[in-house]
Formats: sequence, C-alpha cells, structure tokens
Amino acid sequence: MWTRKASFTFTGGIALILIGMMIANLQMMILGLTFIAFIVVNSWISGHGDVEVQRTLSADNLYKGDDLYVELLVTNRSNRNTQLLEVYDNIPHEMKLRSGLNQMRLNLKPGESARIRYVLRCPLRGHFSIGPVSLRSRNTFNLGVEEMLVDHHSDIVIFPQIKEVEEAFLRSRTPKMYTGATTLRTPGQGSEFYSLREYVPGDPFKNINWKAFARTGDLMVNEKCRDAVTDLYILLDSRDIARIGTVLKNPLEMGTVSAASLAAFFLKRRDSVALAIFDDSLAYLPPDTGDKQYFKILSALAGVSPKGKMPLQAVTNSLSGRFSRGSPVFIISSCEGDGTVPAAVRDLVGRGHEVTVLSPSSIDFERLVSRIPRMSYEVLKLERQNRLTTLAGSGAMVIDWMPDMDLSQALMQVRGY
Amino acid sequence: MAEDVGLQRDVTVTGEVSPRTLHLKLLRKQWQIISLQVIATVALVGMYLEVVSNYVVGSIDHTMLFDTIELLIGDQLPIGDWLTGEGRSGLARFFVPLVLGLLVGGGMALLAFQTPKIQQRVKLGFIVTLIVVLIGQLMLSWLTGMLFSFDLRLPNSSELSTLEWPLLMILSMMILFLYLLPVIMGVRGIWGLSRRSIAWAIGFTLLFLGIHAILAFPLINGQLGTYGDSVNVIGAQFSDPTIGIFGLMLVNEQQFALILIAVLIMVFQESSYGVIRYLEYAYRLPESCKRDPEYVRQMDNVLNTHLKHTFGFLGLTGVATMIALGFHTVLLGFVEDSTGSQWAGQISESIELSLTYGLVISAAMFLSIMALLRFFVPWERIWGLIYSRRNADATPAGKEVVEI
Repeated sequence: MWTRKASFTFTGGIALILIGMMIANLQMMILGLTFIAFIVVNSWISGHGDVEVQRTLSADNLYKGDDLYVELLVTNRSNRNTQLLEVYDNIPHEMKLRSGLNQMRLNLKPGESARIRYVLRCPLRGHFSIGPVSLRSRNTFNLGVEEMLVDHHSDIVIFPQIKEVEEAFLRSRTPKMYTGATTLRTPGQGSEFYSLREYVPGDPFKNINWKAFARTGDLMVNEKCRDAVTDLYILLDSRDIARIGTVLKNPLEMGTVSAASLAAFFLKRRDSVALAIFDDSLAYLPPDTGDKQYFKILSALAGVSPKGKMPLQAVTNSLSGRFSRGSPVFIISSCEGDGTVPAAVRDLVGRGHEVTVLSPSSIDFERLVSRIPRMSYEVLKLERQNRLTTLAGSGAMVIDWMPDMDLSQALMQVRGY
Repeated sequence: MAEDVGLQRDVTVTGEVSPRTLHLKLLRKQWQIISLQVIATVALVGMYLEVVSNYVVGSIDHTMLFDTIELLIGDQLPIGDWLTGEGRSGLARFFVPLVLGLLVGGGMALLAFQTPKIQQRVKLGFIVTLIVVLIGQLMLSWLTGMLFSFDLRLPNSSELSTLEWPLLMILSMMILFLYLLPVIMGVRGIWGLSRRSIAWAIGFTLLFLGIHAILAFPLINGQLGTYGDSVNVIGAQFSDPTIGIFGLMLVNEQQFALILIAVLIMVFQESSYGVIRYLEYAYRLPESCKRDPEYVRQMDNVLNTHLKHTFGFLGLTGVATMIALGFHTVLLGFVEDSTGSQWAGQISESIELSLTYGLVISAAMFLSIMALLRFFVPWERIWGLIYSRRNADATPAGKEVVEI
C-alpha cells in the first residue's frame, strides 16, 4: 500500500508534468517525471513480513507483581531481505514494560534472525495471552507500507500474591488422624519426638529438656512431629459487589490474596484444603493436599472475576454435607448485599465447624474511588459493625479487614466481638 | 595464565573500551550517519550549483544586483568583491558566497546543539553587535559632538551619513543571505537535525523553480519587456541527444542538468530526513535497548541498506528518467526500422512526437512498462538468492556484548 508520502510524490509528479506541459516548461516536466520514476523504481522493492516468530517466556505461571522475561526470536526464512520491518509484540494492557522494548526496527537478510528481549511487570492476576506479533514492512524511502499479523500467542497465568501467614493465629481444633504408615515428619504440635533445638524466648517451659540442659549447660527444647492434618474449607465471595474499589485494591483482589496465602500455608503444613468460589455459580475444588492441589487452587483464583449474586446460604446448603466434621471454614466475603450470611454462618457453627469470617471492608474500598459524605460513611460503618457483631454473636470469629492492612496483621485481630 | 587472557573488545570493566550503543552521542559519530550527512550536503551543494548555473548565473545573479546598486548609489558597496564574487565570471561568482553559506549554516547547526543559556547569549551578542554596527558610529559622533559644543541638538548630515556604511553592509548581507538561503537552511537542517530547515531549503528551491517557470512562460515573459530577456528560458525543443548509456544517446546536456537537479533534490531530501528519522528512533529507545547489541546490529543493517538504496535507487531513478526522456527516439527508430514503410518514415520525422506531448506520453509509457516489470521479474528474490549464494559459507558474525 502506498504511504502518504508516495501519494503526495505521485500526485505532485503528475501535477508538475501537466503544469509543465501547459506552460511549456521542461524543468517542471522533468521534475515530475523524476518523481514518478522514483516511485516506479522503488516499487520494485516492497519488503515483506514473511518471517518466523518464536517467543520464549521465563515462566508460564507467575505470581502477581513478579517480572516476566520475554524473548522474541524473529527469523527471515525467505530468500529476500525484509527491508525495513517494524516488529511489535502485542502485550496485554494490564502488563507494564519494566525494561527493554516490545518492538524493534530491523532489516533481516535471508536466514538472518534478531532477538527482542523485554521484561514485563504483571501487576494483576488473571489468565493473559501475549501476542499476536504485528509487523509493518516499509521500503527504505517510506513509499510503500504493508501491515501484517503473525498469529503467535503465548498464554500465561498470573497467580495471586502469596503473603506470609503466622502459624500462631491459625490452628485446627479438630485434627484428623491419618491411618496407616503416613509420617508427616514436620515440626509442630504432636506427640512423637522430632528433634532437639536451642531454647528461644517464648518457648513453653514444659518443652524444655532438662537432661539436655544438665548435660550441655544450654537450654534445649524438644520439638515434636505433627501427627494430625486438617481439612480446611475456604469459601471465597466473588460476587459482583466484590469489585468495589480500585483495580488493584478491591475486596476480590484482597480475597484472592488471602485465599491463596491461607491455602499455601495449610498445604505447606500438609493439611488438605478445599476451595469454593461463588459468584453467579459455584465452583468447588474438593479437599486435597500437595503441590497439585496448590496449583489447582492458584489457577482457580487467577481466573476469578466479579459477577453474579449467589447468596452464601445457597453455597453452605449445597456444600455443608461434604464438609468434614469439625473442620475449620474460612469465609472470605465483604458480607455486603447478602442477607443470608448470618443464617449461613449460624448453620455452619451449629454443625460444629470453626468459622472464621475474613471480611474486607467494602465501605473503605468504596471511599478509595468515590467521595462519601462523613455522615453517610459513619452510618454505613455502623451498619457494617452491627452486621459483623451479629456474625460474631453466631459464634464465628470475625476479622474486619481494612484496605491498608496486611493479611497477617488482619489475622491477628481474630476476635469474637 | 589468567592474566594472559585479556577481556574481549566488547567487554567493559575498566571503561577503556566502550561498547557500541545507540546513544546519540555515539550514533552521531557512526560512519553511516556521517556518510548520509555528507551525501546530503554534497547533494545540496550540487543541486544549488546546478540550479544557479542553469537559471541564475549571468541572468539574475547577486553580482549583477550588486552592480546595479553600486550604479544607483554611485559608490562601491562596503562588502568586498572577493566575498561577493564580483568581477569573476560564470559559476565562480558563487564559490566564495557558497563557502560563506556553508559556514553560516554550520554555525547555526552548531549553535542548535548548545545549551539554551549559550544560545541565548550568542543571539543576544549578535543583536547587540548588529545594533552597535548600525548606530554605534552615529551615536558616538553625535554624543561627543554635543558634549564638546555643549549643545542639545539633532544629528547633522555628516553624522547621519555614518549610517550609510552599516545600512549598505546589512543590505548586502541580506541580499547574500537571500541568495544563499537554500544552502544555509539546508546545512543547518542536515547537521543541526532540523526538519523545518530542510523543508525550507527544498521549498525555497522549488519556489524559485516555480517562479522562474512562470516568468519564463512566453506570455508572461513577453509582458516583462527588457526585464524578461534577462530570464534564462529553456526551450521545449532540444537539440540531438549527446548523453546516454550503452551507446544509446538519450538526452542532451541541458536535459541532463535538469534531471540532475531533480535527482539531487531527492538525494538531499531522503538522506537528510533519513538521518533525522533514524536518530529520532534511537533517541526514543529505552536505555536498555540502546545498549542491546541486537538493536545496534539492526540499526547497522537499516543504515547500511539506506546507504545502498540511496546510491542504487536514486541512481536508477536518474537513469530511468533519462531513458524515459529518450524513449520517444527509441520508439520512433523502432517503428522506422521495423516497417520501413513510407508512413513509418513520416511518423519518425514527425516533429509533434519530439515535442512535449510525444515526449511525455512516451516517457509515461516507459515508466508504466517499468512499473509492470516488478510483476514479472522478482528483483528481491534474485538479490536474495545472490546474497544467499555469496554468504553460504560465511560463518555468522554474531558477537555478544558481555555486561559485567
């Protein structure tokens, strides 16, 4: 396709020839003819985008906030030069270039290749696709341009961030005993001896090994093997209301981070973790342990988007039959716009589950994006407090999670109201 | 043993050897960029000299204007003849002013790369000097005159006559500046990387050619009377061709000069704009890309191709125009030789076919055939095949820059 420059040159050339003919001026005619000859000669070389593209990623799965290293190898497999070729690798708009550039101007000889390297920052979780590769071929004097696409995609999953969770705040009251010859061989609360280690302030005195102290002169404590596992159920609220706030800070984002962190923590302890995500439907991952379950949970959380308005009681009604007796249940929900939450929590507590409600404060998230009058804010806040107090009254542990609060910090305030 | 192993050339630890990067400071000194700028400058000078020799010298050149002014004021202009070229003949009249124009343009380009503070100081200094030159002598003589006679008065005629020299000097400089405008602006654009200046240089040249074409138009030229005689008119009917390729005479010297002007305008335009375009691209690259050897290599490729195409394609453009202009003689010769009939003889002697219409139609026909050729002859594949054959045994010259 002709560029604007080519069109102007051609039109100018024709105009000069015609005017030259009209006023019998040979200079104008020759100038016009030269312009036309310039276009004609340059049309012999048009360049092409017949290139092979290969993209290599540093990882297929990343955590939110991590960097992704991308290398794009462009090879000219044809028997002619590409001429001036602009290569542009399309990246999702959610990702930001951290270093390098996702485009290059090049001129590849037959068989030659070029590498474009760049680093992307992934600030949002989700399933993304890098590509296609856009090509724009020009000739040297920018008279002809051709745009093409190489349909080459690389899929990537960005998992939610994993935050450190302190063990002290999360403990099962109802351990499930393994049968058979399963040995956990990890330090924790149990009966079997695991190892001897130096005393650190805060260790209970009952764990001090006095014989070892007498022998060595240093305070030593006994460590025990964990001999029990727990089934943990995480219920994540992904309803439309969970989108309140900014893109990076909203109840759903905080919910996915906490769900992923809790799952990581418990799976590391070799507990079984189940995940239920409810929005316009219910997605349920049955309890399991190990890396595979960890990957499944992270993948499920990566793809979560706010939609629908399924009530919590519908979730508990359909799932409570599958919950192990006395196992802890984590409900991650802002508890807004759902009148069934107290009943659902009451039902779970009544069945003997230890229920913890981690509730991101949606009013404070809303404040990040819109101005709420002070009086209205106070009223809304009071309503929320009442709602949480009702839940606490039902026997659940309730955490009011403010936007600027870290997860471990929020978990510290487990209280019964 | 270890100390015997030196660092490779591209490795930088001590800072002795700096790797090639796309920083403007380095890129501006790269041979391809310098070559393009030199080509553009040579094309500009060549174009200017061709235009001047064809249309200006002996017709409306600056020395004639200076002579007329000197005749009017009855005195010599303050600017020296060696500087204006007065007294010389032909194109030699323009040699010294041309050098002057190149220096002024170069100076303006150099100024463009200074800090705003220095630029401001230089501009201020120039204005102050101009004011001092213009009215300094008058003020000095007038004020001292008033001081010694202890009298408040207007400057007298002898004091006012001190204005004559600076005014004539400034007038002469302005005339020279006007004549050298394409060169000054062109050089400033090429070396000072200014698109606007390049556009000024080309625009002024085209404007001059346009005005000249209008003035040379017989109807208007006739109205100008004796002034019209001084306009160099190039006729539409030419003598027999004397310049050609492969023994085939295509154009005469006058036509060749006109083709040369057109081709040089394009060489100047493409080279100067090309330099700016590539430097702009390099400037916009992020720091990490500027240091990336891959980007450096591809920039080399692009620049080398531009250089090759500047010579190849613009040279071919000139040749194609020459052939297009001489194509009617080829056609007429072909008709005459192929048929040998009386009609063919009459056709070949037909003067209409040698005039503008016939010439343009045959040229357009030739260019159309050339344009169609691209669909029959795969030039790019042929060149690519030759390249592949030539480089079949060559080892890849990839050299990685190691960052420590």
